[in-house]
Amino acid sequence: MTHPKSNHVVDARYLEPPEPFVLTMEALDTLAPGEKLLLLLFREPHPLYKVLKQNGYAYETELTADGTFEILIWRP
Amino acid sequence: MQALLSFDRAPPFAGPLRFFLTAPLFGVLAGLLMVVAGPDIMASRWMPATLAATHLITVGFMLQIMVGALIQILPVVTGANLAHPLPVARGVHGGLSAGALLLAWAFLSGTAAGFAAAAVVLGATVAVFLGAAGHALWGVPSTSPTIRGLKLALVGLLVVLALGLVMALGLGNGWPLDLASLADLHAGWGLGAWAGILLVAMAYVVVPMFQLTPAYPAQGSWWLPPAVVALLLVWSGALVFGSGSAVRLVQAGLAVAGMGFAAFTLHLQHQRRRARFDATFRYWQGGLWCAVLALAMLLTAAVRPEATEWRGWSSLFGIVFGVGGFMSLIAGMLYKIVPFLIWLHLQNAGQGRAAAPNVNKVLADGPMQRQMRAHFAATALMAGAVFWPEALVWPAGMAFALANGWLAINLLSAVRLYRRHMVELGPVTGC
Repeated sequence: MTHPKSNHVVDARYLEPPEPFVLTMEALDTLAPGEKLLLLLFREPHPLYKVLKQNGYAYETELTADGTFEILIWRP
Repeated sequence: MQALLSFDRAPPFAGPLRFFLTAPLFGVLAGLLMVVAGPDIMASRWMPATLAATHLITVGFMLQIMVGALIQILPVVTGANLAHPLPVARGVHGGLSAGALLLAWAFLSGTAAGFAAAAVVLGATVAVFLGAAGHALWGVPSTSPTIRGLKLALVGLLVVLALGLVMALGLGNGWPLDLASLADLHAGWGLGAWAGILLVAMAYVVVPMFQLTPAYPAQGSWWLPPAVVALLLVWSGALVFGSGSAVRLVQAGLAVAGMGFAAFTLHLQHQRRRARFDATFRYWQGGLWCAVLALAMLLTAAVRPEATEWRGWSSLFGIVFGVGGFMSLIAGMLYKIVPFLIWLHLQNAGQGRAAAPNVNKVLADGPMQRQMRAHFAATALMAGAVFWPEALVWPAGMAFALANGWLAINLLSAVRLYRRHMVELGPVTGC
């Protein structure tokens, strides 16, 4: 799946926890330098934010009209 | 990266668990009180036993679980960490349990000392919780409708507490208060701003997450909680200025807002991506329909105030909204939260050495569904007892006590599984 914000997308909107977390972590492991990962979710993943910060990732979140949180993750 | 699965920020399981296990016991007490008090409990909302049973449910059951869930969930949905979660949980749990019992005793005995003791204990306890939660949320930006909703719900709890304290001290000391209007406002803030907004804010997260539905649209999610608070502020102002028509207009607005939310959630449930009708789904479906029914009663009362002259109006509204609505939605959520927490803590304790049991195996669906049917049967009997108190109040009380005892047994069975696995894992820390 691709998206205007990134070619690497984890669409976790209809997945039960902890699948979104696990899939995001696995996708981050495969990310090449300079690439960005887009996570789609129906909630703000605060536990994931903490893990991202601890591991030196940056992220940017946008709430869209249909209630999807678009979380763009990259290593600065 | 797999090591990062450790949710090290989750509060110890003992924090929220104590609230979840104690709350159903207050439901049992309320049911037994119905049995002891007999048909008189349905005579009026002002009967001492009616007020005692109502607060055993609202403080002993609802507030207890909501506070326990917030202690657990605040870091997950807001990123805010409660300082010293375990001591706060211990103190608040003890205070709420003692406070609910003291308040029930105060209503039953009618003594000034009882009301003073309940006011001091509940006032101090809720203040401690609000202080801890407020401190954690201080400076946390409202980046989602859920965070905004949680903040407003806490403001609602503060107002509920203030109104409750004024009434408790007024009742104990014979102050000349307009108790009927104050009690309506207390219930309005309690069910609308505290319980209502908290439930709405949590639903934004847990309905899509656990029932695999689409999300609530962003725009409506942002405005619903502040709209409810704004309406309640107008209600409070209208009371000060003595405008009965404004109060009715606000009640109509609250009813429409609540029905809109419940109807939309039912619509979301229809679009879910899971074929299974599990206990949580059923509990929510039943709870939402009860809420729609109760709010239709509120709307009717706002349009035609003479409807409330019927002696059973308040009791029926309270049973359908509180027991059929809120208690069902709360129990439905507990049946997801408790197994999930058990899975989470076992996963952390195992740290790759042992796999945690599948989250759906922690608590089997069959016992949950049977307990849910007992709860809805008790709700129907209680509603029936408003019309035929002589015939139905005893079976209703017994059924309600039984359904709540069953909830405690189901939750305990999940905790026993947790303890068994922890013993097998050997000595670990943090849980």
